[in-house]
Amino acid sequence: MAGSNEVNANESKRVVPLNTWILISNFKLAYNMLRRSDGTFNRDLNEFLDRKVPANAVPVDGVYSFDVVDRATSLINRVYLAAGETDAPWGIAELEKPLSTTAIVPVIVFFHGGSFVHSSANSAIYDTFCRRLVRTCGAAVVSVNYRRSPEHRYPCAYDDGWAALKWVHSRSWLRSGADDSRVHVYLAGDSSGGNIAHHVAVRAAEEGVEVLGNILLHPLFGGQERTESEMRLDGKYFVRIQDRDWYWRAYLPEGEDRDHPACNVFGGRNRSIEGLSFPKSLVVVAGLDLVQDWQLGYVKGLEGSGHEVKLLYLEKATIGFYFLPNNDHFHCLMEEMKAFLHS
Amino acid sequence: MKRDHFNPDNFSSSANPKMWPCQPDDSGVDELFAVLGYNVKSSDMADVAHKIEQLEEAMGTFHQEGLSQLADETVHYNPSDIASWLESMISGLNPIPEFESSSDPFLESSTSVNSQMPLDLDFGSDLIAIPGKAVYPRAQPPPKKLKTSIASAVPLPPATPLLVDSQENGIRLVHTLMACAEAVQQENFKLAEALVKNIGFLAVSQAGAMRKVATYFAEALARRIYKLYPANQQDSAFNDLLQMHFYETCPYLKFAHFTANQAILEAFAGKTRVHVIDFSMKQGMQWPALLQALALRPGGPPSFRLTGIGPPSHDETDHLQEVGWRLAQLAESINVEFEYRGFVASSLADLDAAMFNIREGETVAVNSIFELHQLLARPGAIEKVLQMVSELKPKILTVVEQEANHNGSAFLDRFTESLHYYSTLFDSLESCGVGEESVSVQDKVMSEVYLGRQICNVVACEGVDRVERHETLEQWKTRFGSAGFEAVHLGSNAYKQASMLLALFAGGDGYRVDENNGCLMLGWHTRPLIATSAWKLS
Repeated sequence: MAGSNEVNANESKRVVPLNTWILISNFKLAYNMLRRSDGTFNRDLNEFLDRKVPANAVPVDGVYSFDVVDRATSLINRVYLAAGETDAPWGIAELEKPLSTTAIVPVIVFFHGGSFVHSSANSAIYDTFCRRLVRTCGAAVVSVNYRRSPEHRYPCAYDDGWAALKWVHSRSWLRSGADDSRVHVYLAGDSSGGNIAHHVAVRAAEEGVEVLGNILLHPLFGGQERTESEMRLDGKYFVRIQDRDWYWRAYLPEGEDRDHPACNVFGGRNRSIEGLSFPKSLVVVAGLDLVQDWQLGYVKGLEGSGHEVKLLYLEKATIGFYFLPNNDHFHCLMEEMKAFLHS
Repeated sequence: MKRDHFNPDNFSSSANPKMWPCQPDDSGVDELFAVLGYNVKSSDMADVAHKIEQLEEAMGTFHQEGLSQLADETVHYNPSDIASWLESMISGLNPIPEFESSSDPFLESSTSVNSQMPLDLDFGSDLIAIPGKAVYPRAQPPPKKLKTSIASAVPLPPATPLLVDSQENGIRLVHTLMACAEAVQQENFKLAEALVKNIGFLAVSQAGAMRKVATYFAEALARRIYKLYPANQQDSAFNDLLQMHFYETCPYLKFAHFTANQAILEAFAGKTRVHVIDFSMKQGMQWPALLQALALRPGGPPSFRLTGIGPPSHDETDHLQEVGWRLAQLAESINVEFEYRGFVASSLADLDAAMFNIREGETVAVNSIFELHQLLARPGAIEKVLQMVSELKPKILTVVEQEANHNGSAFLDRFTESLHYYSTLFDSLESCGVGEESVSVQDKVMSEVYLGRQICNVVACEGVDRVERHETLEQWKTRFGSAGFEAVHLGSNAYKQASMLLALFAGGDGYRVDENNGCLMLGWHTRPLIATSAWKLS
């Protein structure tokens, strides 16, 4: 109803800076037009509207980037590194030496959000975010351009995440450390990226591949049940339950419901992760995100399985608060991440 | 001692002014938005917010079906300008614009010719210039002997990972190339000579694109070092031949023609007398598709006049006239009134507006595909040509150029840029011919020679001989702006059709179309390689 939309618009406007509100509302309206009721998606228009940026081997604000393509799969990883004095001055990355022989440099394998459907590693919003991560957290970042739904459903994104993890581990030039030189890998992601990070971490634990930590930024989890937060916050802060439902339908195998293990991680259809060497987690929950009950349930699930988890609950934050550095939540997040990566 | 630059304390976070809410810069564009790819003036924020609310309210009256249909049927332009996009969506709740993608003559013509009309033409092969075979028969004069001896013509090995992350030799090879270029820039020719020989050894142990690119760059460096400048770079017949192979092998030229034609077609909507001036006539590959599209457009075709510009030919034949004649035949067979004139000019700067005899009431389009950058070799030439174009009062000027800066003042910068650029291009060539639409080995090899000549020109030549002076869209924008032109935006319909075109290509996976401030760019994976833009007089 037009009337209640007006009320909703005003509510979200009160809690975020104006430019953030414009940015996220713009996405919201555009995305509303791209999803079709029959479950298909206007992919061309989505890509047309998405603002993308190329990699840049020349450092900007101390960070440079380059893309690596696995020609067999067309999978792209965008690597972000901090510029240093000893780097080759020609815009060609020095890809033989490790990142450091004295200190440990965390390497974050980052999965961008977009509900499994939108955005890419070279989307401007994520390119910018990854650059900020390098600067503030003193890490290297590898952003994975995983295949998206509805064209590529579960488990494609997880498979691509797994391939990226293996790839990162095998790069000699991502190693760091004095005595024990190896790649110090962390997994991170926002929204669907957080979901991917979890599942890749599970596989890593099962197969004995080291992941030092998981950072999940309002990760996408769900289930058939309608939780209290979903009902209370439906449509109030940029997101409606029906949008979330559409994206799960687009990602999960046809005929499945939201209790599928990809979505409802502790809902009983998954193998237990108790006893696995699952990494410590930092889970960031936005207090105005309707998915929060599922995210809080996830935290409980990790604790219940005997795994270390820190919850960062940002009461007044909406989804996407980290796209612009114009609010306290953003800075708080950066500080927490930095501490998590270097502890 | 290597400073440990990963110490996070080296990057002050809260103390960094960039991290706090930004002050608007002088032009008023919000910096936080700018970095995310959007143009929003700080002073317009409240207005933009209001438009969002308006749009949301308007959308609230639609069902999901209606919304997706709205999205499909509206042509979207320049999404970076949020305010104007919102405006267009709000008013998009009105009747559909005149140019619907569903009735696009380009797509119709390509499918209909395939299935319905085996048109009986003297020159045989099917009419589709896009995406299939060349329009004109392969009865070409025998190719000239290759003057250079360092062209690789060996069977292609299986695909290998990209330049950046290949085996040790790959990195050393790149480093050696760069070190050699640096030595050349410093005029340390003894060192350069030693390095260029080393490149030869390293290149041989590489495979695929890397080896070929390195070989071409090494040859170019050697020429520069030994001052053995390439002869016959201006042999236009040979260049044309090479370009035709390039046209067949990969989608860049087809994309260029396709997107330029799209813009021209839209500019000609409703016009009955049109005149296209083609600065890049060559074999006229661009025009059959436009003629067909005009023939099929609702309301029927306009009367069509084409003026083609070409360089002087080295043999007796009048290529320009031949091309014109073939197009005339085609036009006749599809009932488009057609007139043609060819002009021979060594340089576009030799032309003046009066020569074109622009007639009262005719709509003019000027088209330039990979030509304008050559003018940058002579001071004043580009300004003269743009001045001349503005005197023609065109409805539209379509330009396609390489998206790279190979015209920097420092040799090393040019070298680095072009090494990145051509590595990407060669890499994309490697993926062609993998699939059903297989490309002949000859096409591929000749395409590499075509690109190799460009590499040679960028690296080994100077002054008026260095004509491959590619510049980026940003740089061209400044030039066009100074000459009194403003952008005509290419929209989502052109984008969509270009994407569909690319999907027809083998290796289509890697090709990407990107929208950039109203222009379309075609790239390989994440690297844009060519840019199509359209302009009109302000």
